[in-house]
Amino acid sequence: MSKLQLITKGIVKENPTFALILGMCPTLGVTSSAINGMGMGVATMAVLIMSNMVISMIKNIVPDKVRIPVFIVVIASFVTIIEMLMKAYVPALYASLGVFIPLIVVNCIILGRAEAFASKNGLVDSALDGIGIGLGFTLSLTAIGAMREILGAGSIFGFSFAPGVMPLLFILAPGGFFALGYLMVLFNKVAKR
Amino acid sequence: MKSTLKNMVLVLFSITAIAALLVGLVNNLTKSTIAETEQRNKDLAKLEVLPEFEGEPQLEEKCREIGDFKVNVTIVSADDKVVGYAVEAPSITRGGYGDRIYLMVGFVEEGDNTLISGVKVISQKETPGLGANMTNKGNSLELSVVGKNPTELKFAVKKDGGSFDALTGSTISSRAYANAIETAYAGYLWAKGELPSLEDAKSGATKEHDEAKTNDEPEAQKGELSNE
Repeated sequence: MSKLQLITKGIVKENPTFALILGMCPTLGVTSSAINGMGMGVATMAVLIMSNMVISMIKNIVPDKVRIPVFIVVIASFVTIIEMLMKAYVPALYASLGVFIPLIVVNCIILGRAEAFASKNGLVDSALDGIGIGLGFTLSLTAIGAMREILGAGSIFGFSFAPGVMPLLFILAPGGFFALGYLMVLFNKVAKR
Repeated sequence: MKSTLKNMVLVLFSITAIAALLVGLVNNLTKSTIAETEQRNKDLAKLEVLPEFEGEPQLEEKCREIGDFKVNVTIVSADDKVVGYAVEAPSITRGGYGDRIYLMVGFVEEGDNTLISGVKVISQKETPGLGANMTNKGNSLELSVVGKNPTELKFAVKKDGGSFDALTGSTISSRAYANAIETAYAGYLWAKGELPSLEDAKSGATKEHDEAKTNDEPEAQKGELSNE
């Protein structure tokens, strides 16, 4: 598999949200607007790339039976460290992304990629896989967030064009399922061709 | 790699030890910077909720504890004239949909009248896109208090017979917001010496709301679609 394919497969063939159906909890939880979806996606991508790299480095010294706890410790420490560093040195970024950071620890995409890819592949490939899957996740969340924001609040990325006339339902939890379902159908229809 | 008791214990122990060490190290490195940033934000918020004024601001702080909570009153003055009161207060009787909400509320005096000059959300963990909209400029909650005289306000959302225009789909967050404003107002009165103590103010002022609201306590935000 070429290096470029490692990245593109994360966006189309192994898109974490629409093809692998991973990370549904944050997907439904944070996509109430396009910018929230994007923020969660970018924060997840950062952690995913780093945790993939570290896990591919330590994969040879970790006994099989304790690999899951080891991966979780690595991921959780990363998330905590990133949260503290962001809070201290880029408070503006923390103000907009802060609420999503603790959610990343429980994001099964990261553990899933650690287990399925990083623990079997080298450092560079694992980093590329992290970029690809991270991009796929970011794009999917932004798409769902944009759909819900347009249909539910009549705005896109905070720019309001039809305030107050759209059904609020799409911003609320049930709308998340509708948006996810329809986008998943659409994605698979297009991608499988 | 094949698992034996020895290597499992060894690897798990060393990985957790390294992770704990790193987290602790970063925590030590960032602790003071984080505290500074938070303090600076609070100081900025104090001036933000008050109208603009000329001269160097002088801050005089008063702190009142109610149970586990703190109400911080800062009297801001310039050129020996009081500009206004910036009160940092939590929502005491009810939390929001996430956690308790902390607000910075500015009070200014014009003649005999007291006006709320501005509100800034210090911390909240409400749902993004719903309750978290209380941090947006010009949201309905902010509009229902800013420029108003607190003696004429009823500290509850319109649905409960108050004067707060709730955020769309977020009645619970809005109730907490109203409660935090009420706490801030009690703190302001206390700082002016118009109330013997905050506890008295709280128990007297919030009792009726609580009774009125207990019926719909389990109601979720989702059920409030029609509450525009």
